Amino acid sequence: MPGTLLADEAVSGIEVFLPASYDIVGSLIVTAILAFFFFKYLMPKMTALLDERAAKIEGGIEHAAKVQAEAEAAKAERDAELVAARQEAARIREGATGEGAEIVTEAKAKAQTEAQRIVENAHRQIEAERQSAVVSLRADIGSLATELASRIVGESLADDARQSRLVDRFLDELDASTAPTAATAGPTDQRPTEG
Amino acid sequence: MDILAELNGNIATVGYGLAAIGPGIGLGILIGKALEGMARQPEVTNTLRTNMFIGVAFVEVLALLGLITGFLF
Amino acid sequence: MAESDHGSGFHAPSIQEFFPPAIWFDGTPFEINRIQLVRYILMIGLILWLWLSTRHAKLVPSRAQSVVELLLDFVRVQICESTLGKKLGRRYTPLITMIFFSILVMNLGGVIPFLNIAGTSVVGLPLLFALIAYVTYLAAGIRAQGLGGFLKTNLFPPGVPKALYILLTPIEILQVFVLRPFTLALRLLANMMAGHLMLVLCFSATSFLILDGGGLIKLTGVLTFVAGIGITGFELFVAALQAYIFALLTAVYIQMSVEEEH
Repeated sequence: MPGTLLADEAVSGIEVFLPASYDIVGSLIVTAILAFFFFKYLMPKMTALLDERAAKIEGGIEHAAKVQAEAEAAKAERDAELVAARQEAARIREGATGEGAEIVTEAKAKAQTEAQRIVENAHRQIEAERQSAVVSLRADIGSLATELASRIVGESLADDARQSRLVDRFLDELDASTAPTAATAGPTDQRPTEG
Repeated sequence: MDILAELNGNIATVGYGLAAIGPGIGLGILIGKALEGMARQPEVTNTLRTNMFIGVAFVEVLALLGLITGFLF
Repeated sequence: MAESDHGSGFHAPSIQEFFPPAIWFDGTPFEINRIQLVRYILMIGLILWLWLSTRHAKLVPSRAQSVVELLLDFVRVQICESTLGKKLGRRYTPLITMIFFSILVMNLGGVIPFLNIAGTSVVGLPLLFALIAYVTYLAAGIRAQGLGGFLKTNLFPPGVPKALYILLTPIEILQVFVLRPFTLALRLLANMMAGHLMLVLCFSATSFLILDGGGLIKLTGVLTFVAGIGITGFELFVAALQAYIFALLTAVYIQMSVEEEH
């Protein structure tokens, strides 16, 4: 048999295909250890890694899509709000101008009534002062007129009685001519002053 | 009688050599046809490949039988 | 080929290559010879590589982790999901990944410098992986369709005229229950054995021709050396290819067991 150097028995052909006992045992041990390693350590680890990676990629894509959709929705919302805000602002502005105009007219009316009131007050006051002025003037005019008349007329008026009669007559004429609203029934005869 | 020539060895080797001709040609034709089909219609690649393996199994058995017969006898 | 005086002739490799003398525990079922030792070393190497690469697995992977992930994705997408679909593929991905990685590393032992023998070149390991695949696809078929349904769809494929069943069903029985696991194991085993024997042949021929050849025959030693390099590259390819085919066929058998019609 060719090539048998140290073996005690020659290997015949069929033994190639029939496993020897040590062969079986050795193969079993090797396969068991490899199976244990693959099934318990490597494959769970790598499938988990692969799944995680795929999920991350898909999740990343989904997440990006979702964020983009959200951003667009937010943008649309903001635009709508902006439009509404602008409309509101325009409305308010119009209202404000209208109100402003109203306020102005109101103030004008108020001011006018106020002005009228003041004017009336002033008129009344003027009337009152005029009356008092007339009254004081009356007192003064009497003496002034007499003074003047006495100087002019001279001593023809030295007579007191005549004087007082003249004075009263003069004053009545004065009353009648200057008091149209006073409604005093003064003597309406108008006598030209002597002189 | 003189022995003019002598030949030593195992005729199983010649037997295996002869036995390998047929399966060799057969496998060549089979796989070649399958490749051709896959080239014509790539979408049926998987079906063709599966059926090719079924055919290869039948043909290869003959070659392997030739091999082990040399060892058996 | 046979030389009676050892040491002066050329010793071509024989099957004895695959039954080296025991190192420890000779004679017991726990015997460790060179090949068993190589298997253990390769197993530890595989576990260490995978563990160290994925120890701190991050979402953004480092380089070592990327390599491992590349291979894992290759198995998951190209083998599992393309034959089994998404849902079923997910369930069987761990098993098929284990089969692919283990067989790949065990096959590569044949070209690793100080090991020089593939862990799958002795029948025990391929047979065990084939049995795992066998049990898996039978269990998948029975779980999906019930025992009767499974037998009916696989042994009496629909769409065939009834008379042909006399011919077809025995073949199908052989196929499903006997031939599939055996061809799986045998394909792997034969490839690895043949590759190893070729490598040993080339390199022992090189040493024999260069050291013991006379005259110009030494140059053929260079030829065999170059051939050895070439076959090493081929062995690398075959290692990966056989691992891929084993995993793919497992997936295909599972899918064929589960599907409702042929």
